[in-house]
Amino acid sequence: MTAFDPQRATLQHKAETPGILFASCYDAASGNYYGAGTDGAVYRLATRAEKPAAEKRWRHHDNYVSALGWLDGTVVSTGYDRQLVWTRAESGEKLRSSEAHDGWVRDLALIPARGQIATVGDDLLVKLWDAGSGEPVKTFDGHAKQTPEGFATAIYALAASADGKLLASGDRIGEVCIWELDSGRLAARLKAPEFYTFDPQKRSRSIGGIRALLFLPDGRLAIGGLGPVSNVDGFVGPARFEIWDWQNAKMLHRGQDKHHAILDHLEYLPELSLMIGGGGGDAGPFLGFWNLRSEAPLHKAKPKSHIHHFVFDAASPRILAAGHAGFQIWTFTGEEEKKP
Amino acid sequence: MRRHSTCQPAEHALHRRTFLGGLFGGAAATLTLGGVSLAGEVPAASDLRRQQKRALFIWLAGGASQFEMWDPKPGRETGGPFRTIPTAVSGYRVCELMPHLAARMNQLAVVRSLNTQISEHGQAADLMSTGWPKEPALEHPELGVVLAKELALEGSLLPDYVSLFATTEGRRRPATGFLSRRHSPLLLEESLQPRNIDLPAGLTPEQHAGREELRASLSSRFAEQRAGGELVQGYNEAYARVRGLMRSDELFDLAREPAAAKDRYGRTPFGQHCLLARRLLEAGVPMVKVARGFWDSHHDNFESHRELVPDFDRVLSVLLDDLHERGLLDSTLVIVLSEFGRTPKINEDVGRDHYADAWSCAFAGCGIRGGTVYGQTDEDGVKVVEGEATAGDVAATIFRAVGIDPARHYQVGPRPVPLAKEDAKPIKAILA
Repeated sequence: MTAFDPQRATLQHKAETPGILFASCYDAASGNYYGAGTDGAVYRLATRAEKPAAEKRWRHHDNYVSALGWLDGTVVSTGYDRQLVWTRAESGEKLRSSEAHDGWVRDLALIPARGQIATVGDDLLVKLWDAGSGEPVKTFDGHAKQTPEGFATAIYALAASADGKLLASGDRIGEVCIWELDSGRLAARLKAPEFYTFDPQKRSRSIGGIRALLFLPDGRLAIGGLGPVSNVDGFVGPARFEIWDWQNAKMLHRGQDKHHAILDHLEYLPELSLMIGGGGGDAGPFLGFWNLRSEAPLHKAKPKSHIHHFVFDAASPRILAAGHAGFQIWTFTGEEEKKP
Repeated sequence: MRRHSTCQPAEHALHRRTFLGGLFGGAAATLTLGGVSLAGEVPAASDLRRQQKRALFIWLAGGASQFEMWDPKPGRETGGPFRTIPTAVSGYRVCELMPHLAARMNQLAVVRSLNTQISEHGQAADLMSTGWPKEPALEHPELGVVLAKELALEGSLLPDYVSLFATTEGRRRPATGFLSRRHSPLLLEESLQPRNIDLPAGLTPEQHAGREELRASLSSRFAEQRAGGELVQGYNEAYARVRGLMRSDELFDLAREPAAAKDRYGRTPFGQHCLLARRLLEAGVPMVKVARGFWDSHHDNFESHRELVPDFDRVLSVLLDDLHERGLLDSTLVIVLSEFGRTPKINEDVGRDHYADAWSCAFAGCGIRGGTVYGQTDEDGVKVVEGEATAGDVAATIFRAVGIDPARHYQVGPRPVPLAKEDAKPIKAILA
């Protein structure tokens, strides 16, 4: 991968869509970037075009779309309508759909090494699906059904290890379950309480939760979200991630910034030992770059709006982001797009 | 960068001296407070008191979202991700987060057409809790204070008004305004038990009674020998209420409720507060306020309401059932109100901000025609298109529901001040 300087992160282009995009996926072969969110439609951004515009491609969900995945010419999508949908990207043809969960589906993870897809939903279950046939394979049940205070909880984040042997699921109360996919065994349960705020007097409502998960190539687990909240409004706490030795239930490193924002997505670049986190909150949109040696970020950029998901395109290099009001393309040349 | 206004919580504790100060201050104020004439106050509404009408004010501090409760807009960009469900009222659907209240909608009246214009927490809370805009020269009393005064039971040794505000967000002590501080509520903030009402260590009940006997004797002799009988009477009333409060500590003790009742209300703070409210109302406290905070969802609105609304739905449903089963619902006005609603626009942090142009409130019980849905907003919930109602109209409706003429007035110095603002109109459609 070409080395780049995070300090030169520049918003090079933006393309508007209605509402908020929560999910995205990327076809590296064509350069097409897909996003979806509040209106249930999938939008495409041809990122190799000179000034790409967001193009509405199809609408196979009748509620918010929460996650997308790219699967060899097929976009797999899921959302609050409970459906898991396979769509041929080029034509927009719906190939199949399944009712995935009894409740909103919050996230999906592709597991190429197994030819499977994992999902999490508001039935508090983790499910495995055959990526080709769409048939259910296995269900995992281990997350708490309520918050400690007796309220509704949710599993927000999901990540698979590159070898397809492990799956991590993270919930509203700051707990992560690590599942062994061959055996179906719950291999570990981690408690990361800093990501969950509840105070019976001063913050008597659950805030935060684990919003991003990522296995690093060496097996460590990255957890992202929001640190302890200092005000009642919501995302009024530090942007935060933690690196865990999950086998020994030990937190190894913490990356944090005083900027009040929740990190909705993390990407790790092992060649550069660089963690990138995107999100937003009370202090505004946020894009942070950390090495894993210090708590403070090397650099933080200010996106145009809250970033809910992004991918890192190593070939360019650039960040393709989806969020409020559409797509953003970030480059590291320091050059902004020329205005007409 | 700080983008959103937030509440500045002030933490307070009930202190015996504070409580006594309120009572004594009130006793004195009836005689000396500049401009306020006790003689000019509305005479005691003895007919109301005989009927023992009560009111329960459920205050959703921070501003609950009408979209995720009473006025959903499914399929619209402003509507959010929740579905709607039918209710017991034909043609009226509410957010799916309220299945229990949906089934009891024939007991509720919903006003979906509030336009109260002020969307800053403090000013809006003042407006909605008094029914009056702020005036530089006159502080209006909170609605609960007026109701407590008007519905108070003669000779009762219980507090006329108990306010439960256990969380800090938006905590505001009900203002007595131009009324006597005698009408201040008993505040339960840090604990559900009134604090500092136990006898000091080393003082036996017999010694305590002896001291009271001596105090009463001295007071009586003072009143006989000097002018100031009214002042002494005020002090005597204050002492009597403190003694009543000290004897009523069992009333506040939820441990005396059967486990089944506690389970029925649920073990969440709001559930336990509403159970205590029912105990107080049943015992004869005419005015109770239960505040549930943290509705101020500038971020993650749907996750917040997914947590808060089901708790509200379940607890209020149980409370309505319980009041009905005990024969209290017809004589108890239940008011569900916030300082404002939330914006149609969903912001970049998936939140909703403050919005006062088109929002909702609900009523049940005494004087309310259950099963009515008043007013309407446009398809996106941006504007009121039918039956616009103001804060004053809400106040007038509340007074009318418990049988008080909202046009009656208090005499404040030379100025007659009506209970509800002069141009306020009760929402007749929701009144029985």
